[in-house]
Amino acid sequence: MRQYELMIIIDPELDERTVQPTLDKFLKVVTKDGGKVDNLDIWGRRRLAYDIKKKSEGIYAVVTLTAESATAKELDRQLTLNESIMRTKLLRVDA
Amino acid sequence: MAKPAIRKPKKKANPLKAAKVETIDYKDTALLRKFISDRGKIRARRVTGVSVQEQRLIATAVKNAREMALLPYSSSAR
Repeated sequence: MRQYELMIIIDPELDERTVQPTLDKFLKVVTKDGGKVDNLDIWGRRRLAYDIKKKSEGIYAVVTLTAESATAKELDRQLTLNESIMRTKLLRVDA
Repeated sequence: MAKPAIRKPKKKANPLKAAKVETIDYKDTALLRKFISDRGKIRARRVTGVSVQEQRLIATAVKNAREMALLPYSSSAR
């Protein structure tokens, strides 16, 4: 089990209130495989330094979680498959 | 024979020590902005005055922040 930090940029056209339930749905993978979601921080709408997919804004969220490497990888894969997730970054906390 | 005077560059004060920063985080854009130029380029170590190890951490942090659109790759504003 390792500690990971995951940053997600979500499509700004999504309602900010629906962000939490959507992320919870994705994070179910972690708890199902014996991992733990330590913290979920939604920064909210933020200006991007450059346009991504012709959009100049994005909803940022940062998740810290403890999980097996395979689980973390799978979570990242599922996120990138979703259309409304613009970008993700999965980093190990201690490395 | 007069030897050519060797210029000793003045050692800069480490800005990280002054700001009491322990970990360099790519999310801390306010800190990282001190280490990039106004065009968005990473400043050289002889300009910033940090150690080799810290400079490396700063460089990767800036690159991570760029990937997540927290910092610009380049800004054409001059």
